[in-house]
Amino acid sequence: MSDEGLRFRPRVAVVDANVALGHWHDQPSPAADAPALLAALDRHGIERAVVHHVYAQTKSTVEGNELLFEALAGHEGRLIPQCVVSPTDASLAQLRELHGRGLLRSVRLHDLTRQGVPFADWVYGDALTWLQEQGIALCVPLPEVDVAQLATTLRGFPDLRVVLAGVHYQHVLLVRPLMRLLPQLHLELSRYETLGDVEALCAEFGAERLLYGSWYPRYELGPILYYLHHTTLTEAELAAVCAGNAARLLAGEGAA
Amino acid sequence: MIGGIEVIDFHGHAGLWDGVGMVDDVDTMVAAMDAVGVDRSCVFGIFHLDGRRGNDRTAAIITARPERFIGFAYVSPLMPDSMLDELTRAVDRLGFRALKLYAPHTPYKISDREWDPIYDFADSRGLAVLHHTDERCSPAHLAEAARRFPNARFVAAHSGNTPPARKLAIAAARELPNYYLETASTYRTPGVTEELVAGAGAERVVFGSDTPLMDPRSQIGKIITADISDAAKRLILGENARRLLGL
Repeated sequence: MSDEGLRFRPRVAVVDANVALGHWHDQPSPAADAPALLAALDRHGIERAVVHHVYAQTKSTVEGNELLFEALAGHEGRLIPQCVVSPTDASLAQLRELHGRGLLRSVRLHDLTRQGVPFADWVYGDALTWLQEQGIALCVPLPEVDVAQLATTLRGFPDLRVVLAGVHYQHVLLVRPLMRLLPQLHLELSRYETLGDVEALCAEFGAERLLYGSWYPRYELGPILYYLHHTTLTEAELAAVCAGNAARLLAGEGAA
Repeated sequence: MIGGIEVIDFHGHAGLWDGVGMVDDVDTMVAAMDAVGVDRSCVFGIFHLDGRRGNDRTAAIITARPERFIGFAYVSPLMPDSMLDELTRAVDRLGFRALKLYAPHTPYKISDREWDPIYDFADSRGLAVLHHTDERCSPAHLAEAARRFPNARFVAAHSGNTPPARKLAIAAARELPNYYLETASTYRTPGVTEELVAGAGAERVVFGSDTPLMDPRSQIGKIITADISDAAKRLILGENARRLLGL
């Protein structure tokens, strides 16, 4: 019997825009360290990934970012660090120091829902201003921020490039208004499964505003990558969504 | 076709749910099916309490593309005076091949006696019953129904969805010969498909996508990219569904 179609390997280079490393404080992770993560990437034919540390996202940005660089040592060619920012002087000072050493590629917003902090310019303005000035992109997981605050605050930083991660079908009514309101916004597609909408968003906003991400290990690496390879996107669009946009925005490669 | 077998999507909707972007446009649904080799999708209309309006919408989709869609009948135990007549109409006149039930639209547990006339209908005809399951609509309650109605085949939609409920669903499938697990879910935790196959056996797992609420291309990607055998993938993608639906 034919085995056609039963297995899948990507036909373009892939940079996963949304991967977490390290055990959660309350749950073991299959991506506890770099070798485990690389083995998972290899199984799915994924060459590189943009990686943050779960401890930075949930407990301490400063310590979590330190853990990230320790864990990625020797693996920087495939695992691209993404530091996490919170609205403390220590957090911004750490980012400035890392940037001075050429180590800061992109920044991820910490989980606001855990802290009860509004995403407002009077809280995050210093960090957002600095990121915008330095041309460093910000990744924002949508489930971890108030979307109305997000829209209002980001309008004040029109040159800050933002990747919105984890957009779910329950957010579908927000997606197009947000993309129109904020031209600097890009969508990471790990949870976006609305029927036929990848092609529709690509036609309306352009492939350069869409990124493949998995949010592994919260979600699987393969399904969204498989999906993207079975759309009507051109090969150039597929290459941009699967790797080029993440490399440009989150790895600091190529044109800004 | 994938791997030489007919692919059947066991979980799809008829109707509109604008608030989450769900539109049952037949051409869009078929285009997504074609892109990944889904031959037929099972659809049902669960948004109208009377059953009839949703079942008629299901029938309209089948009329538009009879070679691509299979109808499941929906009724609610909140309409006890009309539900059996509507079930009979949907199965005998509209040609629907199974039942879809949705406890979140009722105040009842899946194991409550209010469902029994519906289960008895399925039991008497040997039909499959796809029942939504999650942490509130417990797979363990579905197992109670499966024990009482052994000739009906009960399928836990979403396989419980989250890890605690998924364990209950797997345990039920191991215990009961008429209990199956369906895969549609946005909880795409790593290793879910592998867990279902290891726990219940591939012959108890059926592929579902929740189309057009979700795109079947990502949902079938869970099966294709899973670390399971080709034989297991064939069972999940179509062979089990064919058996359940008597095709």
